[in-house]
Amino acid sequence: MTGIIAALTLRQLLGRGRTVLMGLLALLPILLAVVYRIGSEDTDQQRWVAQVLFDGLVVTILLPLLALVYGTAALGAEIEDGTAVYLLAKPVSRTQIIFGKLLAAWVLTSVTVLASGLVAGAIGLQGVPGHGLLVGFGIALVAGSLVYSALFVMLSVITSRALIAGLVYVFIWEGLINGLFAGTRLLSVRHYTLSVADIFVDLPRSVFEAKLGPVAAVGLMIAVGGASVWYATRRLQRFEIGETT
Amino acid sequence: MSGEATIVLEDVSRWYGNVVAVNGMSFSVSPGITGLLGPNGAGKSTVLHMLAGFLKPSAGQVTVLGEPAWENPSLYRRLGLVPERESVYGSLTGYEFVRLNARLQGLTDPEEAARAAIRTVDLEDSADRPTGGYSKGMKQRIKVAAALVHDPAVLLLDEPFNGADPRQRLHMIELFRRLADEGRTIIFSSHILEEVERLAERVLVVVGGRLAASGDFREIRRLMTDRPHTFRLRTSDDRRLAAALVAHESVVGVELDGDRLTVRTSQLGAFALAIPTIARACNVTLRELRPTDESLEDVFSYLVSR
Repeated sequence: MTGIIAALTLRQLLGRGRTVLMGLLALLPILLAVVYRIGSEDTDQQRWVAQVLFDGLVVTILLPLLALVYGTAALGAEIEDGTAVYLLAKPVSRTQIIFGKLLAAWVLTSVTVLASGLVAGAIGLQGVPGHGLLVGFGIALVAGSLVYSALFVMLSVITSRALIAGLVYVFIWEGLINGLFAGTRLLSVRHYTLSVADIFVDLPRSVFEAKLGPVAAVGLMIAVGGASVWYATRRLQRFEIGETT
Repeated sequence: MSGEATIVLEDVSRWYGNVVAVNGMSFSVSPGITGLLGPNGAGKSTVLHMLAGFLKPSAGQVTVLGEPAWENPSLYRRLGLVPERESVYGSLTGYEFVRLNARLQGLTDPEEAARAAIRTVDLEDSADRPTGGYSKGMKQRIKVAAALVHDPAVLLLDEPFNGADPRQRLHMIELFRRLADEGRTIIFSSHILEEVERLAERVLVVVGGRLAASGDFREIRRLMTDRPHTFRLRTSDDRRLAAALVAHESVVGVELDGDRLTVRTSQLGAFALAIPTIARACNVTLRELRPTDESLEDVFSYLVSR
């Protein structure tokens, strides 16, 4: 049943203009890498790929934006336009519905961000050894996509303004508050993602260093992802559709 | 209507914050067709949403086929729902949409079930077109097919005739009658009296969140027809006609206020037949005869006061 729901959701998400927009957004890192390789005098390619490309753009902006758009639309768009009724009026467990939605959002987010990040990274690293940068960030982006997607699918069940709430989380919490108060990084999917990448990257600390330890990051990823799925399911079990929705 | 109650509401209320949408409603419904009639905003959709398990009653119990409707997804194996909103998955064809519903129901042969349901609503010719391009009436029919695909015992229809042309209405009425004859319980909501009159064997009249009347439609129709009616008249001589009308048995009140003649009658049929004769006998020309309380809300308000 999860597969049927995921296939339906993929079709709905891919059939709309947002996919074109997300595709254009995914081209940005690749264009930036091309410009860097052609025009920049910076010869420390590994530092540029780790700090500017992955940490500065792919993990911090592209990944959360893709997950936000796909994660909130996977179920939120159906709730908004009324088609969620056809899904909810079925003898299907709410866990399966959430898993189906999450699977679709995760696949779209991770495929798009992986394609963009790995192509851009390969261009940026052309001619020098990667020291695990592409493998590390590849795995981290897939893991980060899953947790972000779970978080944003949950938001879409909680509020009709999930997109705004997600933007606040990404740009205010992760973008601003995490920089001011170190303790808040414990609740940052961005920092979990960077820490997972750090497990596989074999470069000096001066070139790339995550702020969270790997055990804490992986543990928190599992906790936040699991809690998001659990809470989304719980809310969907008691989700009301009435004249106020 | 026959058989045991398949749907039971016991002292059910539902409120949104300070707004009471449904207030202490109790009724039971047996197999057959039941119309949920009431003006817009009366609480019909709230009742249907509670029956469909989409709204939790703030108080009271809602049971369908002996099971609680709220937080009970397994009930949907035996319950079909046609929502009021016309939205469907626009990128899917009609056939894909109905087959999706069959798959989500876990049917063993969703393809055949989908084809059979589409045949039932007479939409085979358009089944391979995306539903996004369907007319309102076609969307309504494909939604009915989706609700019927698993052969449910209870069918809930929220304003099912919206957007349907007269031929489609007739077809759907025949379909619902056939389904009811097979022993299903069908509840449909409508704010149009004539729709309910044509289809429902039993009617539940909802006004202001309360059950204003329930029972055989003909009895309720009689109450509606026999209620006092008020007419405003413009004539060539209001005073002379007023004097003549006072004496007639069907008239219970006459009011003359300047150039405005208002007449209240308790027997609509007798009054309608008598007024031209009375006017002719007094040599008065009738210029205008206008009912002042014919809105559905007025009719329902009368029923509430009974």
